[in-house]
Amino acid sequence: MLEMQGITAGYDGVPALRDVSIAVGRGELVGLLGANNAGKSTLINVISGTVPIMSGRLILDGEDISNVGAQRRVELGLVQVPEGRLVFPQMTVRENLLLGGYNRKARPARPANMDHVVSLFPRLGERLGQLAGTLSGGEQQMVAIGRGLMAGARVLMLDEPSLGLSPLFVQFIFEIIDKLHAEGMTILLVEQNLSLTVRHADRCYVLERGVVAVEGPSATVADDPRTRAAYLGM
Amino acid sequence: MRPDFWPALRSPIPWVLLALAATMPFLLPNYYLHILTITLVYAALASSWNIVGGIAGQISLAHSLFVGAGAMLASALLVKLGINMWLGMIVAAAFSAAMGAAISFIDYRFRLGHLSFALITMAFAEMAEIYVTNTEFLGGASGLFLPKDQGNLLAFQFGGINGVYWIMLAMAALCVLVNFAILSSPLGYNLRSIRDNENAAQAIGVGLLRNKTWAMTISAVLTSIVGTIYARYLAFVDPYLLVSPVLTIEIVLFATVGGLGSALGPAVGAFLLAPLGEILRGHFGGFLPGFHYFVYGLVVVGVILMMPAGVWPSLREKFARRPAA
Amino acid sequence: MDELLQALVQGFFVGSAYGLLALGMGLVYGVSGIVNFAHGDFVSLGMYLCFALFTAFALDPYVSVVITAPVMIALGAVVYRFLIKPIAGRQLLMVIQLTLGVALLIQNGLMMAFGGQPTRAPSMIESKLFLVGDVVIRGAHLVACIVSFALAILLYVMLQSTDIGRAIRAVQQEPRAAALMGVDVGRVQVMTFAIGVGILAIAAALLLPGLPIQPTQGLRFTVITLLVFVLGGMTNFVAIMLGGVVIGVAEAIGTIYMTHTLGQLLPYLIFVAIMLFRPQGLVWRS
Repeated sequence: MLEMQGITAGYDGVPALRDVSIAVGRGELVGLLGANNAGKSTLINVISGTVPIMSGRLILDGEDISNVGAQRRVELGLVQVPEGRLVFPQMTVRENLLLGGYNRKARPARPANMDHVVSLFPRLGERLGQLAGTLSGGEQQMVAIGRGLMAGARVLMLDEPSLGLSPLFVQFIFEIIDKLHAEGMTILLVEQNLSLTVRHADRCYVLERGVVAVEGPSATVADDPRTRAAYLGM
Repeated sequence: MRPDFWPALRSPIPWVLLALAATMPFLLPNYYLHILTITLVYAALASSWNIVGGIAGQISLAHSLFVGAGAMLASALLVKLGINMWLGMIVAAAFSAAMGAAISFIDYRFRLGHLSFALITMAFAEMAEIYVTNTEFLGGASGLFLPKDQGNLLAFQFGGINGVYWIMLAMAALCVLVNFAILSSPLGYNLRSIRDNENAAQAIGVGLLRNKTWAMTISAVLTSIVGTIYARYLAFVDPYLLVSPVLTIEIVLFATVGGLGSALGPAVGAFLLAPLGEILRGHFGGFLPGFHYFVYGLVVVGVILMMPAGVWPSLREKFARRPAA
Repeated sequence: MDELLQALVQGFFVGSAYGLLALGMGLVYGVSGIVNFAHGDFVSLGMYLCFALFTAFALDPYVSVVITAPVMIALGAVVYRFLIKPIAGRQLLMVIQLTLGVALLIQNGLMMAFGGQPTRAPSMIESKLFLVGDVVIRGAHLVACIVSFALAILLYVMLQSTDIGRAIRAVQQEPRAAALMGVDVGRVQVMTFAIGVGILAIAAALLLPGLPIQPTQGLRFTVITLLVFVLGGMTNFVAIMLGGVVIGVAEAIGTIYMTHTLGQLLPYLIFVAIMLFRPQGLVWRS
């Protein structure tokens, strides 16, 4: 469904990714692993269109979208749930969700998507009128994921969803990810947490200093000694 | 002082240039000497402003207050109370220093990064204009006439345009020199670190209040002294010229066009724009008032969009890239 | 006592228009982080546009707004897109000098077009007076007050409950996330600046009746706007309107009760006092 073909990309002419090729099939849950600064966030920002591609191609449903603008990519269903959640603090939960459905394609589906989000996160349903900035970290993560779903995600890209959450919430968030996966959502999951990711993802890629070091089914990646090496930066 | 400061002073080039500039009264007709004198006034003002606005990155819009203090206060002390203008100059400079420090303190209370300084100083500039134009002692709205310049140096009289020209040349040189000195001193490092990132500067122990106050005070004192000399030259001190926020805007824009934060840039900006403005005003002022300011506006917008670092740093970079060319 | 009441009422009415001036500034500041130092000159421009339309077609300023507001909105969009945006990303501070340059352009463009003499654009309503008890209310002030508050409320509702309003607030609060949700941040910035300038066209018409205008007046409007804007804590709508009223009332009371100088200085003195003792503005946000 989504494919990166030999992509080199980075800020100000300095490549943070070099010749990276990955593929995410329809309905797949793909994990993207790696240590800090391995280029994981850059990779999904390339897909979101906020980091320019220097060379290589980005393909969605067989079409080259390398030159498509960031706004249009959201309309195409490439939706990122950013690291650190970045909810709109002075807006209510409902407003955050409504803004998620801001793009032209998602607007008509807002009522249905809202019902879906509330059914996934009943806790948000109880707090629709509350300012997002006053929520706990875990609840904010729910808002961020809900906002992404409201945008009409066909490929949901989650950047470090477990970061800074209590173990209980981490478990809950991963249950939600599994549930979305079971519903048929295509998910690209960026995580530092190796053991948790390989347990949930179908396949994984491990990035090391901007290149793909290991790839394959989760179980194989977990056992590959190069994975450990990539994490330790050896 | 950075070790390259004193050797730089031993370089002959600036001294030769200064000596050349000093011969101008013998070469130029009075009209051009007048333009050159005005240019030196603006070069000195822009250079003094650069200490706080360029090096420290605090856009002060209150400098008309300091020019006004130097001009109006020293003049009023002389005209109304008969106080020697040298003394008046010192009193005005002290007053300006106090105002500069007070503004720094208020800015420190109300911290909103670089913007707050511009906001607060603009309010002060407006207050100064209202106060001066309403205060009879300072000449009110109609201004003050200074006694005729009879060349009595002890009475702050420089004997007409030649004398004022030399004094302004020395003053402009001093302002540029102070810029050089600050740029190569610990104060300069502190101010530049504040300009680049206040929080980071604070984190490495650079005191915001102390350093900004120093910058503002030094700048205010120099500006005030230039104001006194300018008043003596004009002989008629007009509050709508000398305490007007428009004067500050001119100073800020000259410095910006020349190159903020560099020691010579603001003076270069003044040398580019002030003569242009004077000549345009001479030609068009009669039937198209405002034209020279309009041209300033165009130049400023153009320079900011095309070379935001300013003319002087951009030129220097160009020549540095092609050495020996 | 009657005098005081008179001052309060008049200050309140004029102050509400000041609040409107500052709302435009607050909106732009919140979204783009810039303060437009040509703000007052845009007000000036709006007034002179009304004046030109009056001289050419004998249009009442209140009617002219139908023409001047769209013109100013378009102008605002052009100024932001082609002058401010290219440098706002790189050097936020330079926007101060840039807008000061724009201020010189507007002010002296007006000077060249209309001359420096004070002039006026009369309105049908300017001589209308109402008597409520012993308080004289000028029709123009009443209109200014009603329209200002109506616009403020309209703007507030727009921000709270329309998609575009939510997009504006989203860009204010978390521009990166807004972009990731498909909001065109650049367009929102251009749009808010254009709206901010468009509001000034309306404020100009509201302040115009009875007021002599001069090309050099822009700076004064800029400064008044800055006072209100800072008093209002820069982005809080309610506090900005309150700040406008405080400055308006201070002005009115100053002119009546104090010496001429002190009266004129009173708004600034209040500003300095508040900066010293309540640097966060008039209203807290927890």
